Amino acid sequence: MDAWWQCEIPYPFVDKAITDAADSVRASLPNQLCDPRIAATLFDEVLDEFLLCDDLGMNVIAIEHHAGINSLIGANPMVTSLLARQTRNVRVLSLGTLVSLRPDPVRVAEEYATADILAKGRFDIGFVKSGGTEMASSNINPVNNEERYWEAIDLIKKALTTHDGPFSWEGKHFSHRHVNIWPRPYQDPHPPMWAATGDPSSSAEVGRRGMRHVLVLRGPEGTKRAYDAHRQARAAAGLPKVTTDNFAYAALVYVGDTEDEGIEVGSKLLWFLNTSLKSAPQFNKFLPGAAPPVAAPGLYRTQPKPDAGLALVDAEKGVAPASRNAEKLISITAPEAMAQGILFAGNPDSVYRQIMQFYDKVGGFGHLALVGRSGYMTHAESTKSIRLFTKEVLPRLKEIGPVEVG
Amino acid sequence: MILHGIDMEVTRLGAGQPVVLLHGFQQIDPEARFLHLLSQRAEIIAPSHPGFGRSARPKDFETIYDLTNLYAAFLNALPFEKVTLVGFSFGGWLAAELAVRSHHKIARLALVDTVGIKISDRETPDITDIFNTHPDEVTRRTWHDPANAPDFNAMSDEALIMRHRNWESLSRYAWHPYMHNPRLAFWLPRIDVPTRVLWGASDRIVRPSYGQAFAGLIPGADFTVIDQAGHQPEIEQPDVFVDHLSAFL
Repeated sequence: MDAWWQCEIPYPFVDKAITDAADSVRASLPNQLCDPRIAATLFDEVLDEFLLCDDLGMNVIAIEHHAGINSLIGANPMVTSLLARQTRNVRVLSLGTLVSLRPDPVRVAEEYATADILAKGRFDIGFVKSGGTEMASSNINPVNNEERYWEAIDLIKKALTTHDGPFSWEGKHFSHRHVNIWPRPYQDPHPPMWAATGDPSSSAEVGRRGMRHVLVLRGPEGTKRAYDAHRQARAAAGLPKVTTDNFAYAALVYVGDTEDEGIEVGSKLLWFLNTSLKSAPQFNKFLPGAAPPVAAPGLYRTQPKPDAGLALVDAEKGVAPASRNAEKLISITAPEAMAQGILFAGNPDSVYRQIMQFYDKVGGFGHLALVGRSGYMTHAESTKSIRLFTKEVLPRLKEIGPVEVG
Repeated sequence: MILHGIDMEVTRLGAGQPVVLLHGFQQIDPEARFLHLLSQRAEIIAPSHPGFGRSARPKDFETIYDLTNLYAAFLNALPFEKVTLVGFSFGGWLAAELAVRSHHKIARLALVDTVGIKISDRETPDITDIFNTHPDEVTRRTWHDPANAPDFNAMSDEALIMRHRNWESLSRYAWHPYMHNPRLAFWLPRIDVPTRVLWGASDRIVRPSYGQAFAGLIPGADFTVIDQAGHQPEIEQPDVFVDHLSAFL
């Protein structure tokens, strides 16, 4: 198993009175609340943490989120390019520039090919679907987001792998008649591709495409269901079996010297769930296309109707909006998060044990993504966990080789 | 009614001059009082847009271009020489698109709290962004009296499911450019049929000043404000609304 570290560079320094009063902490909070000097310090610290990972042999991930306190990385390609050049040893995953929000996937392919050149082939590409408030902040029609996502991936892949261009693309969402990117990517045929998604239909598509499938904070049931959909879709399509190397899981992770320290400091990571997920109804339950029409009775009624049979749809069937998942996460406590496989925290032995319990529950995975710093966690606290994890936990995880899963 | 392979729900009632109603954010409610008042004086034909009500929506049918072509064919298919075309809100945009093309079946045009054009400067939105605004605020801006807003707790599952499908379909058609065609204002002066523009005085989805400007671009159009009504005067003031419309027929 390999490990990858990430920090979303959240900006928690907004008065609680303001975030409590706001109906959404994403998309709509004015940026006068963001002190650029504090933002600069945060980037400085976190980039140093990434470079510490490089020294200590842990891969790194640059994510992207827009217009909120949950993350200041709205411009993923800029952080990706810094990491591609400034790291020297580990792999760099962009997870990722949000392709369905970008008007021109060919430009994304150029950025990613350049990142692969800068990293001399130490580069992975991740695709994230986006949604919620980012539809507003990026001015993207939410009902077609998933269609745009897959078409963008198709076009980016073709741009990265076509070497006898130019070629023409006139799709439903993207039109580009003269595609011929320079440089081509360092890796042949292209950097490994990841996709972050959890619903059954897109999990199946990730499986058919043979992409590395990452689940973020989904807990064991949701993660296993997505991995199963991935494997079953491959089997149904007559494609070869894959190994655990195709599967990844992202959790909040903190390692302390002692169990108490690990849990106490690790609990600071819950800020991400407790504070930064808050979004207004127009950005979640009423976002067009986020929930299927059949879910409407549960979305619109403020009082349950006794005979409302159709309201009994739930996240487990993959028909509830992501907002339903978010609602569960906002109020989560550390013991709950640990019990649900969302937070792995404690001393090194304990964290290793928690990871392996989760590994067994979901049928194995080859990559662990650590959300290692969030909320009010300090640079010193984050650095300490990186050192302990890479020294005490990572060597044990590396002994776990890929296993074929069918 | 099957038109161009699309199974469309069409509400029909009444007798008299033919009047085609193109609905706004929700399909026409067959129980609405204004409909029954109007049906005493006119023959009403009220289709639901593809993806609204019980109308099917073909795959990739999601543009104003699709809707405009569909309704051009719809008017052609009606067994009348001429009709009065009435467009409410989003449906007003569609009606205006048809009228600037001088569709031969349109005898008269009525636009009710319509959307469809850009009036103000690039940094002043004319039309409330109903997708990106809190639903409580959208309700306040929609109704003169918010007590007239639908009570979701009292609605059937079927009605709520339909409502959410309508919402998704509306987003497909009107998300971007938001609720308007940037070129339509340039063409409105081509409308060559008698036109009446009706507006709820309290509408804050699109304000009466927008309606006045809209009417000002259509040669000879008159503009009437209906008091104590918001974005849907046909619901909040059905009697006054039908009086204004009937006088125009």
